[in-house]
Amino acid sequence: MILSRVADGLYWMGRYLERSENTARLLLVTEEMSTEVFGLDEDLARAEWRDLAEIFPGPAVPERLGRHVGGLAAATLQALTFSPSHANSVYFSLKRARDNARTVREALTVEVFVNLNETYQDLEAQAGRRLNDTPAFRAALSAAHRGILSTVGAIEHTLTRDPGLLFLRLGESMERLYRAATVLRTKLPALVAPEPKVDLPLLHMRWRALLRGLSSLENFRHSYGARLEPLEVLHFLLFDPHAPRSLRYGTTAVKDVLDRLSGTGEPSAPARLMGRLASELTYRGDEVIQRGEYLTFLDAVLDGVTKAHEALSTLYFGT
Amino acid sequence: MQWIASKAGFDEVFGRGSAPRPHYAALLSILESFTLEDVTRRERLQRLALMNQGITFTVYGEKEGLERIFPFDFVPRIIPAAEWKQLQDGLVQRITALNLFLLDIYQDQKCLRDRVIPSELVFSRREYKRELRGVVPPRKIFTHVVGTDIIRDGEGRYHVLEDNCRVPSGVSYVLENRTLLNRVFPEFFASYPVRPINDYPSLLLETLLHAAPRASQSPVTVVLSPGIHNSAYFEHSFLAREMGVPLVEGRDLLVEGNRVFMRRTHGKRQVDVIYRRVDDEFLDPLTFRRDSMLGVPGLLNVYREGNVVLANAPGCGVADDKSVYAFMPDLIKYYLDEEPLLSQVPTYLGFRKDDLRYITEHADRLVIKTTGDAGGYGMLMGPFAPKKEIEAYLAQVRKNPGNYIAQPLVDLSSHPTHVEGRFEPRRIDLRPFILYGDRIRVLPGGLTRVALRPGSYVVNSSQGGGSKDTWVLAAREP
Repeated sequence: MILSRVADGLYWMGRYLERSENTARLLLVTEEMSTEVFGLDEDLARAEWRDLAEIFPGPAVPERLGRHVGGLAAATLQALTFSPSHANSVYFSLKRARDNARTVREALTVEVFVNLNETYQDLEAQAGRRLNDTPAFRAALSAAHRGILSTVGAIEHTLTRDPGLLFLRLGESMERLYRAATVLRTKLPALVAPEPKVDLPLLHMRWRALLRGLSSLENFRHSYGARLEPLEVLHFLLFDPHAPRSLRYGTTAVKDVLDRLSGTGEPSAPARLMGRLASELTYRGDEVIQRGEYLTFLDAVLDGVTKAHEALSTLYFGT
Repeated sequence: MQWIASKAGFDEVFGRGSAPRPHYAALLSILESFTLEDVTRRERLQRLALMNQGITFTVYGEKEGLERIFPFDFVPRIIPAAEWKQLQDGLVQRITALNLFLLDIYQDQKCLRDRVIPSELVFSRREYKRELRGVVPPRKIFTHVVGTDIIRDGEGRYHVLEDNCRVPSGVSYVLENRTLLNRVFPEFFASYPVRPINDYPSLLLETLLHAAPRASQSPVTVVLSPGIHNSAYFEHSFLAREMGVPLVEGRDLLVEGNRVFMRRTHGKRQVDVIYRRVDDEFLDPLTFRRDSMLGVPGLLNVYREGNVVLANAPGCGVADDKSVYAFMPDLIKYYLDEEPLLSQVPTYLGFRKDDLRYITEHADRLVIKTTGDAGGYGMLMGPFAPKKEIEAYLAQVRKNPGNYIAQPLVDLSSHPTHVEGRFEPRRIDLRPFILYGDRIRVLPGGLTRVALRPGSYVVNSSQGGGSKDTWVLAAREP
């Protein structure tokens, strides 16, 4: 077993690393979607950026910049990529991941630290320059995204299988689950509205963007083919047992780690909370889909995740 | 490549007539085979490696959390085997005497009764801890790790400048410098029998375990750090990693039933040996500074009971006080009945009336230092200071003379250092690391610090210093 402080540091390193990956990925997807639909439907392009601001809350874009989609896009890209004061920017999350890694460096391997550090240093160097066009932003974001994934690879390949790794994975899985549920909670109201305000091809595009934003488009196609049926997409993103970003899979992943940390004794308080949520996601899928109760259900998932986070912090970190 | 020999002081590389000293000849010819582009490219690789691996230190007084690379100069310093032997023997002798002195002043105080050193001087040191009188650390070892600063005068003679007995730092850079040089300039190593140093972490662990109170079981060792904002945090983390032991902060430890435990996710575990990198004053708020957030309440009681080893032992800072330093030659003779093998710099004590007069009258020729500070802080370089600054400094000295010492300025030796395509002389010193376990061992080499600013004498990392890899050659020389 490890020091509570080290467990805490690893948990948050995992959360911030995952968060930085989520922000980078959703920024790339949103930027592409907004560029593509801008000429067809400016409101839809604007809505995509607004959704992103809701998923990753932070300081509001100044009024004068937000008036035009181009300004809104540029300001959001800048803030969510490089801002040191936006609590959800890629830069901020990477910095926090690295700060946590520095406090627990003895629990990591050189490969993990060097990958993370290099990714952070590269992004910091980019932040110092003025990136004057979107392709430059995309290149910086894509490089950061690759660096983050390479760090995750180093974690998988080089860290010893001990409780330290479990806490890192716990942070990563909690963040993934929370963020996936937040994305769905933000995006679904417009997507499942009885009379969608946009044309069908555009609606299809939005469902596609939702799947891409959750790294799930290819996995969905493997299961259901290229045709995007909204109910199937919903079922896939909420209740699929194998898709790594589905809520069911995410909840089970968190529960598995918590069970391993509980050992052979009674399940811990956070393990019980996640166990309850996992069984809801396993057995209530059809019912939720039939009744169309997605939003209430998502609220319950977000509430469960928040409570589990509090319970595990108290139990393991003494915070 | 252009090489510039030093005009003042001892040049480590070039002898009379600017001919290279024999042990540097091979290195110079290897370096001559490089083009400027090669060197620049490799230097860039070297900087990148330092940054990516996070080999940094934190500078105090600048904005919080500012990390800096400890600049590294790739031209290694080379010490021939015979020269090293003299240094090593001198250091073993000195550390033996230092520990006997510490044992004495916390026990019988014979040296004070025999007036080898004035008792009022010892007792007035902030680092002398009355609370620890009568406490004998396990195996009577006070200083498990010492970093002694060595300089060379104009004739190339080695002198001890000061001993660092509390929490000497820098050894991680010694090890990382070797790895880095090996990676960036592998060609250098082919012609030299360089003594390896990478067993330091295992020797350090062995040293710490040697003093463990529960030797029969499996003792638990930890490194205690003030935390990430400490300037030497990289080193704390590095040593913990290299030794394979937990890195803890004060808040990770608790005292129960006169034993120390770590707080873990699934219950607590007893700790036997603490390699502490926290100053005495902050170790235990119940004994020393009450406002300390870095220590562990009750830790000193556990230590007194012999249930935990603190390395180095609390209270050992008195031995590296700059005014106690002046008495080291006498203390060596007193405890060991031997002549000191290493000389040291003449020292004037503010504590003595005659010396104080000399200091105030000759301040413009002296280096004046506070007795308890380190890192180049609280120091006046008389020969380079404006008159006003000297006056202001002397006013402070007169208020509390016992807190100051003065030494003549020693013209430190110089070593060629790469500066934009040329090799220019820069002043250097040397901090060897000495471990005291089942016997006293000196890590072959140590940290060579470089004053990177032209003409500067200040080698401290906090004030613009850098470092070099230091090679001690095995007896078989090229």
